[in-house]
Amino acid sequence: MDTNVGPDEMIIHMGPQHVAQPGPFRLNVKLKGETVVDSEVELGFIHKGIEKILESKTYLQGIPIVDRICYLAALTNEEAFVGSVERLAGIEPTERSQYIRVIVEELSRIQSHLLGYGEYASFVGFVSMFMYPIAVREQILDLLEMTTGARITHSFLRFGGVRDDLPEGFREKAKEVFANVEKALQEWENMMETDLIYKKRTVGVGVLTADVAKDLGVAGPPLRATGVPFDIRKDEPYLVYNDLDFKVCTETAGDIFARIKVRFAEIRESMYIIEQALDQMPPGPLFNEETPYGKRTPIMRIPPGEVFYRVEDPRGEMGFYMVSDGSDKPYRVKIRGPVYPTMQALPPLIEGVQLADVVGIAGSMDACTSEADR
Amino acid sequence: MDAEQIIKSLTTKFPDVISDAKVDSDIRISAYSEAEKIVEVCKYLKEELQFGHLSAVTAIDQIQKNEIDVVYLIASYDHPVVLKLKARLPRDNPEIESIVPVYWNANWYERETYELFGVQFKNHPDLRNLVLPDELLGDWPLRKDYKGFPNRTAKNLV
Amino acid sequence: MDPLNEKPQENINEDQQLAGEDMDMENIIHNEIPGVITTTSQGITEFLKTTKIQDLINWGRKNSLWFMAQAMGCCGVEIIVTGMSPMDTDRFGIIPRNSPRHADVMIISGYVTKKYLPALKRLWDQMPAPKWIICMGDCSISGGPFYESYSTVQNIDKIFPVDVYIPGCPPRPEALIQGFLELQKKIAAKKDKGTAYMR
Ligand code: SF4
Repeated sequence: MDTNVGPDEMIIHMGPQHVAQPGPFRLNVKLKGETVVDSEVELGFIHKGIEKILESKTYLQGIPIVDRICYLAALTNEEAFVGSVERLAGIEPTERSQYIRVIVEELSRIQSHLLGYGEYASFVGFVSMFMYPIAVREQILDLLEMTTGARITHSFLRFGGVRDDLPEGFREKAKEVFANVEKALQEWENMMETDLIYKKRTVGVGVLTADVAKDLGVAGPPLRATGVPFDIRKDEPYLVYNDLDFKVCTETAGDIFARIKVRFAEIRESMYIIEQALDQMPPGPLFNEETPYGKRTPIMRIPPGEVFYRVEDPRGEMGFYMVSDGSDKPYRVKIRGPVYPTMQALPPLIEGVQLADVVGIAGSMDACTSEADR
Repeated sequence: MDAEQIIKSLTTKFPDVISDAKVDSDIRISAYSEAEKIVEVCKYLKEELQFGHLSAVTAIDQIQKNEIDVVYLIASYDHPVVLKLKARLPRDNPEIESIVPVYWNANWYERETYELFGVQFKNHPDLRNLVLPDELLGDWPLRKDYKGFPNRTAKNLV
Repeated sequence: MDPLNEKPQENINEDQQLAGEDMDMENIIHNEIPGVITTTSQGITEFLKTTKIQDLINWGRKNSLWFMAQAMGCCGVEIIVTGMSPMDTDRFGIIPRNSPRHADVMIISGYVTKKYLPALKRLWDQMPAPKWIICMGDCSISGGPFYESYSTVQNIDKIFPVDVYIPGCPPRPEALIQGFLELQKKIAAKKDKGTAYMR
């Protein structure tokens, strides 16, 4: 960004500590009056060097670290990491464990979307709206905690399976919670559809068209809100998503109103997926005993090779590019997070809008700084 | 379009540039490209073969071979094939043409590769550090011979 | 030198001057205004030390610990949850504030990187005294899972005066509330580092 300002221009720094931020980053916006003429994102305030740390850890030790790439989608990060190691080593997870993975990952998607919605609602001015999704999210976290024992950072997946089985009473509890979520979603949707002020602030704001979104490399709900049915779960099915019935949720408007609608539709779709998975889940072992590495071997030497494995994160396309050189540690890991291109697309998106809409647009993209920084 | 066809199209168009092209699986292919021609190859991929989605740009430090491989992971919105395109660069002076004119979102990936590995991207619009603080620039922390890792300054180490 | 110690020393010098032979005109005029008692900061601290008034002040302070909403790492998510309705921290007088200028407590919730440290110091300076720091999570206590990283700063307790440490990765919201309660106890016992006691 050009830091020379004209006579009626000024530069505002939003961040690194700003309430409308899920983590520290800095957004420098140049204003002419109230209109944004130029902007720039500065990253790296929580860059922790995860890629380097992963190179110095054995594969099993890497699992807790990848949990912390994006703390709102820890289970999908794990899936991407564990899945790529499984492909390198040629381990096939057992069928029951695949279903359990689908269940916990979809739960993780629901809680992430709920928090994202709450944050976003407070950014467009509904500060008290933040309270409601958080209260519902606690119930989803209870379900996750029942299964994995942790609220945010789970370390639940293992190579070739999962750590634990679903607890007793999970199905009944899940039914109860999903009924609550559905009720809450209907209430919020009602509010959004009828509230004039809310609509004025969101309909037609921050519009992305399909071509521009593809050019910018945006993925996930912001892309699907423009009408592109791009979803890794369908395009490149992993786990048992092929056997489950679900649809890719899209909208056509491409504004922030549409993005939230896509997220709501995805929450419903996730609940539907979980219900199916609970019904279809076969009994069986949680671990594949026939791998060359046995059950819980901490040290596994993986044959040399390369893999690029993608999963659908709550925020879009998450991929791990992993290179193994035959030792017990990865030679190189590249984490391709979905938020990185989303944050990069922020400056073109907010150009020409009013300053008050900037946080709303940024919130509707559901960024997670920790993952962009790694 | 499937993996075999893509490889065939690529190798017939650039016979001297593309080498080691192979099919890894139904949806993954990999190839090496000459560093000088990378922009033309990317342009062809984007315009003719529907590779419209740049997933990532990164690098691998091959310290034994004294090389740095720049890796382009290119996917598509229309078919499920992902291409892993690599370019070999000398380790002491890695330089390659920037592909920002072709893929807009390569901008930050190239900046990150620059600050972590020291790969110079020629004609990049704004080659600065992105995630590293200014004082760490020039150390190239993700290279294998980086001295500052692991850091042993924490006082309660066991 | 730390700013807290700087002021009293200046005042002491002034006091000595005032007590000397040549009192300046201004001071004499002050003394002569009927009904106005002038005092020095030294006098105030003496007064606080010898009476129970500090207890009263601390009682007020400990029951209105407003913290700055600043999500720095994974632990930041738990801060958000703590400030919301399910935990209802308002009953302890603990309220999230968006601006450092309104806050009494800074929660270091995660990895401090070399790039973020200057900003964090600045936020700390912007907060009005009395102010306290809570270290939440292993990262801010000892480096946590990222203790050997090239870009994080270790040994935060040498840089900031930390009052309470909450272990966990991440600590639960309940643990954070317990941390606040410990801080309240510390303030009530006049053992905290945030208040400038003249001992
Ligand atoms: S202590 Fe653990 S949960 Fe908290 S910020 Fe550090 S890594 Fe994240």
